[in-house]
Amino acid sequence: MPYKIRALFGIECAVLASPPGYSHATGILSVPARHGMNSIPARVPSLAEKAVSAGVVVLLCGVLGGMLLAQAHFSPPVRVAGALALGAPRPAESIAPGLFATWPAGISPMGPAETFPAATLSDKIDGKAELYLSAGFVRLACQRARSGVGSDSWVEFFVYEMGTPSNAYSVWSSQKRPDASDAGVGDYSYRAENELCMVHGQFYVEVVGADSGELNRRAAESLAKAFVAGTPVKAHANLQSEQALFPVQGLVPGSIALVPSDVFGSDRLKAVFVAHYQDGAAAVTLFMARRGAPADAEREVAEFGTFLAQDCDGKIVAPGGKSVRPGLLSVFDLGGSFDAVFSEGPYLAGVHQAPSAASAERWAETLRQRIRGGAP
Amino acid sequence: MKEGDIGPLSPRREFLKRGLQAAAALAATGGMGAWLWNRHPPGDLSTEKAFDPRKDFAMGIEGPRMSIAAGQDRAVMLRTALKALGGIERFIKRGDRVLIKVNAAFATPAALAATSHPALVAEIVRLCRTAGASSVVVTDNPINDPASCFELTGIGQAVRQSGGDLFLPYAGAFRKGSLPGAKLIRNWPVMQEPFKGVTKLIGVAPVKNHQRAGASMTLKNWYGLLGGRRNQFHQDIDGIITELAALVRPTFVILDGTQSMMTNGPTGGSLADLKDTHALVVSTDPVAADAFGCTLLGKTVHDLPYLIRAGELGLGAVDYESLRPIRVEARAS
Repeated sequence: MPYKIRALFGIECAVLASPPGYSHATGILSVPARHGMNSIPARVPSLAEKAVSAGVVVLLCGVLGGMLLAQAHFSPPVRVAGALALGAPRPAESIAPGLFATWPAGISPMGPAETFPAATLSDKIDGKAELYLSAGFVRLACQRARSGVGSDSWVEFFVYEMGTPSNAYSVWSSQKRPDASDAGVGDYSYRAENELCMVHGQFYVEVVGADSGELNRRAAESLAKAFVAGTPVKAHANLQSEQALFPVQGLVPGSIALVPSDVFGSDRLKAVFVAHYQDGAAAVTLFMARRGAPADAEREVAEFGTFLAQDCDGKIVAPGGKSVRPGLLSVFDLGGSFDAVFSEGPYLAGVHQAPSAASAERWAETLRQRIRGGAP
Repeated sequence: MKEGDIGPLSPRREFLKRGLQAAAALAATGGMGAWLWNRHPPGDLSTEKAFDPRKDFAMGIEGPRMSIAAGQDRAVMLRTALKALGGIERFIKRGDRVLIKVNAAFATPAALAATSHPALVAEIVRLCRTAGASSVVVTDNPINDPASCFELTGIGQAVRQSGGDLFLPYAGAFRKGSLPGAKLIRNWPVMQEPFKGVTKLIGVAPVKNHQRAGASMTLKNWYGLLGGRRNQFHQDIDGIITELAALVRPTFVILDGTQSMMTNGPTGGSLADLKDTHALVVSTDPVAADAFGCTLLGKTVHDLPYLIRAGELGLGAVDYESLRPIRVEARAS
């Protein structure tokens, strides 16, 4: 039976009467020599070709071995080679101006400005982000700058956009360093050893120096003034009317702050002014906040009273009531220290950590009188 | 030629033979490629199966476990504290590959004490080298601008000058892992690459106030081993620090309370935030080190719920005095 074998690509190779040599037992087809067809002798590679081939194989094996060896002895620093480009200072003209179109004389940016919205703020300041987020944080822009031509001194300039002037005041006042002095720039400002902090409208600005040297002090002042001059704001921070309600006698200078949240550990108590007082040898804190309506203040007083009673295991000890009642003063014994809370019109107010119930009552009454009279 | 001999190769046979050879070569190449192919390229953590990310480098050796050096010079204090525990050679052997986890979280100068002090980092690198460590690698994962963090803190230069190497993290250096029994570290990227081949782990952290956690010391320092959008853990900061205590068991930790950041932590920013507290702790028990450290901040362990939880889980001694810490005065010789 004619049997045609067709090789790949359709080249007809042979036509045989039968498939000679085909064994059904083994399934092997052995093809006999095809007499009459063109045959080519098997070509034997030359010695040179063999040598080149062997060389290529040895080279490939060497590459493979090298790769495996490198993987087995991985050196992490290899991965960071060249990553530290910071050591080589970039020419100032190659850096975008960033926070200032024109930087104050002698001050030049070290790198580009960075910006952080609320979602990434903690990438920059880690756990401190909560303070800003709870106070209405909108955006942070910051940039490092050399404080003088050819100098190693540098500062970092932080601009926190806080939404409103009172929010900016809140983060400014709650971080105010002891023994800080007025820097005389912006709405509120102070200068500590190596930094200058201020409120300008809805912006809270920090200039942090790498050291407390004179060059950095001058640079901080220049930057703060340049920012105020070049940044128009809709409204300025002016919280003096609230601050003025606190009694003057015994007030620790510079201690008034607007705490944005978690006031005295209560997550329900927010945006409250606090002021520290000296009561003999003891320290006492007075607090106060204006709400939209008297009912709002009464509700928050009740909530704070519940917090003191339930979460702090406080017991009402004066002036004799067993529960917090709207408008009335309640004093809690918190196991050695005493808190008082009351409302007066739209204000909630009170005393924190007084040394005795009598002290708490006395300070609370003083504060109530100040609020009633709309001091000063 | 006899009948039946194949004789010289025909074009067809030659073609078949070379075709088979080519196919074999292709198959071998493809097989090799498949063998070497990294199915999870750097940064792609989406499909990787979670692994157990625990890092246990505790030695479990007998003898003193904690020392507290009083002084002002960090390098001298470190040498003195280690000597009280038997010397660096008690922990680091010839040929060890050491990984040092520092706090380089912020691009701030060393003077602000928001990061591990470069003088301290340089000294521990040098001591490890002197003890015969074959490699000493220093790392941290500051999410924002790691290169600037290492340079502006002075840690980068300190490491290079003292014979160590820096590892700067990148996306591929992390693997998703699930800490057994954990609620938070589940299917979460944990730093893995610099741990390859490492035989000893040392943590170096400053004592700092932390507005969210109360304090940031050696346990909080492991936070830098986490990748991803880890800021969400701030919602349960005590929980995550407790899990970090279970995640990492170091060879020993160094807690630097030479100066402590008393307020406005963890970034600080003002020298006014700092107080000279003149103490440096070396301990094989990070919980005990932090329990002592919180006293430098005027706190007790009850102010730090994560310490109490870690103690309850048997991760360390909240009562650090139970370790009978060796107290030594560190004076420059």
